[in-house]
Amino acid sequence: MDIFNIYLPVAGIEFNVLLLILIGFCVGVLGGFFGVGGGWIVTPALNIFGFHMAYAIGTDLSNIFGQSIGAVKKHHKMGNIDWKLGFISIIASVVGLELGSQVILILEKAGDVGSIVRWCYLFLMFGLSILMFYDYFKLNPKKRGKNKNKSSNEQSEPIRAKNTIAERLHKINLPPMISFPASGIKSVSLWIVLFIFLITGFLSGFLGVGGGFIRMPALVYLIGVPTVIAVGTDLMSVLFSGAYGCFTYGIKGRVELIAAFFMLIGASIGAQIGATAVKYIKGYGIRLLFAIMIVCAGFSIALEQAYKITNLQVLSTIAGIVLMGTAVSMTLIIIFSLVSEFKKERKLRL
Amino acid sequence: MSVKKLMILIIFCFIYASINYYSYANEVSGKQEPTLSHKVETKNLSGVDLLIVNLYNNDRILYAIVVTLVMASLGSIMAFGTDLVLKFFGMSVSKISHNE
Repeated sequence: MDIFNIYLPVAGIEFNVLLLILIGFCVGVLGGFFGVGGGWIVTPALNIFGFHMAYAIGTDLSNIFGQSIGAVKKHHKMGNIDWKLGFISIIASVVGLELGSQVILILEKAGDVGSIVRWCYLFLMFGLSILMFYDYFKLNPKKRGKNKNKSSNEQSEPIRAKNTIAERLHKINLPPMISFPASGIKSVSLWIVLFIFLITGFLSGFLGVGGGFIRMPALVYLIGVPTVIAVGTDLMSVLFSGAYGCFTYGIKGRVELIAAFFMLIGASIGAQIGATAVKYIKGYGIRLLFAIMIVCAGFSIALEQAYKITNLQVLSTIAGIVLMGTAVSMTLIIIFSLVSEFKKERKLRL
Repeated sequence: MSVKKLMILIIFCFIYASINYYSYANEVSGKQEPTLSHKVETKNLSGVDLLIVNLYNNDRILYAIVVTLVMASLGSIMAFGTDLVLKFFGMSVSKISHNE
């Protein structure tokens, strides 16, 4: 495999070009399908394979920016982006992000911030996955067998469980009220929307992540956006943060252009496949896969935390394997589902 | 592709990731993080590598602009190309109804 090794002059290391394309492809599929940047996979992966952490983050952000362009275009074509909601999310998230990073600076002066962040990360990931699993197995109408007698017309309407958190939040009358027709939301207080994105932004600044995996469930469960629109709208925010990250890390000299170039070849193809898969897989299916993915990622972080406590190197090694194995496995599941659903649809057409 | 074959493929991916992890993790240990004013040695470089490194060493703002433009252009071109290929296989997309 050495013939595929290339020298990356800025990072000062040799790297396998096939591996770069593969990492890019996996994160592209996941990004296009779940509406996340995928930094929580790429950054540790590049770091494990020899990049310094700062170069890993900078190169990853550049790749996220490039791959999001195509995915956003495709989601826009499918009508999956609520631009109004997206812009509000960007503004409130930036403020929240700044607050989160300020809290980190305060905690840094006080002591070991890394451990606090990892515990919060763990709590958030497992909390989110429990909520999503509960939602899938308890509230999914198919699982409850309630849609057996419904007409096909009724089934094409957005399915929402009664008295969800989002519906309760919609009832709070705190002017100014705002509507999001693209998401099917007739009226919700602007303050509530701003507050939710302020919190997701804060968490993203506090945990040091792009925030896609926090924003996507927040859009679905707190604001009541249909899953595919949440994916598209979140990707739009990811595109903006990726563009900013690409430029700012470029100025700091922390982007390895050649690596980002090859990763983007894989990521752009992957992002198109992931975004196309959204058309064939139903919203509840996306939520279930997302929940499985964050459980695996959470498990990886738990192992990393255990490594910090026990200093057993093997735990850190397993954490890396779990993270990358999850990314590759999830990519295969998405492609497999896309192909099988596409075949079914083609049979029906014939 | 059957579910059984997919499972075998997934297990293979985990094994492959494990093997790669060990080989690369050993190489990276002990390296120092470079400083922000870090300059790259150009002695053994030529062609595109030399061009990129010269830009990196001489003007970081221009380097950042080039990086951003390259990523945006490549992302758009690749997306356009992949879209054409997917359309060729009948996977074209249009506005969809938002059912869960």
